[in-house]
Amino acid sequence: MKATSVLIVEDDKWLAEQYERILAQAGYKVSITLHALDAIGMIDKSVPDVIILDVLLTGSTAFALLHELQSYEDTGGIPVILCTNLANEMSLEDLEPYGVKQILDKTKMVPGDLVIAIKRLGL
Amino acid sequence: MSAQKGEHEQLNFGSSVDGMPSYIAAAHELKSPLALMRQLSLMLEEGDVPVDEQKRMLRQISLTSERALRLTGDLTRSARMSDSLFNLEPINPCQLCEDVVRELTPLFEAHDREFRFVPVRGQVLLVANRDLLRRVLVNFGDNALHYADEYSAVELKIGSVNSGKTIRLGVRDYGPALHAGALKSLKGKLSKSAAPINTRPQSSGLGLFIASQFASAMNGQIGVMKHRDGATFYIDLQASKQLSLL
Repeated sequence: MKATSVLIVEDDKWLAEQYERILAQAGYKVSITLHALDAIGMIDKSVPDVIILDVLLTGSTAFALLHELQSYEDTGGIPVILCTNLANEMSLEDLEPYGVKQILDKTKMVPGDLVIAIKRLGL
Repeated sequence: MSAQKGEHEQLNFGSSVDGMPSYIAAAHELKSPLALMRQLSLMLEEGDVPVDEQKRMLRQISLTSERALRLTGDLTRSARMSDSLFNLEPINPCQLCEDVVRELTPLFEAHDREFRFVPVRGQVLLVANRDLLRRVLVNFGDNALHYADEYSAVELKIGSVNSGKTIRLGVRDYGPALHAGALKSLKGKLSKSAAPINTRPQSSGLGLFIASQFASAMNGQIGVMKHRDGATFYIDLQASKQLSLL
């Protein structure tokens, strides 16, 4: 069976590696990028099953990427899990139209939360 | 350094509320390193991590905590600016730059990046407070680390402007360029309040705010030069006249 592919967009390399460590252990196929622009290029090459997305990124915010994803039929349906320090300033209701399915608070989440969040999507 | 091209702007952040940086900006800036250390610690607690990986994670925790502690140290200094007199003296910045590079090299290496000092020809002497200048340059270095492309080098350079009356110490990174609007928001938003702003997207701007305070205490000014492939954050300080007396 093909492993579920996860794209991590997180500009803190060490945190991105931490997510990768957790998800790889759980059997997911993980790719990392530090920049939203790179993410667009990677998604063009291979559409991931789910995106783990930080909000405040170097060069461009997550919202630019979310807008871009929603602009195309083949990427508009990719579920996105936001992982952010700004979780308490965001509303899932507002972000759902942009494909955001869950918001995780970086300051409160435990390592297993990422896997739980992806499994909740049925992946 | 004086030959560099790019959009250029001096950054004058004005004074903060009650002379203190915003608590919100400080909290925001500290969230990221604390969240990372927490994640790594929890992972280590859970076990099931190979020994090599454990060592790497522990190293990341110690380097991240040092980075956060540098910020808290700078915040303390910044909050006490109005109570303190900072001794200004003629300084040869070359040795100081080498010290700064030495201090940050472990952090850069752990991020697969290089931080290097580009030596300057001839003798340079400027008027500054050694400790404050060091903090400003470390701050610029920290900032550049975050924005520099992986495996790229960040350079610490010395130059002169204003017919040699001003010495410029700059940290050049090769990462994403600043948005055109970000330059204006750097100046505009922080001069109105010390609330978080976006210098480059995920930064609260607190580090640059503190650097600006330190520069002012040395009768200097910080600025930024936008390049196609990155940015140079710099501090301008008065050249010492002592050399001309020799």
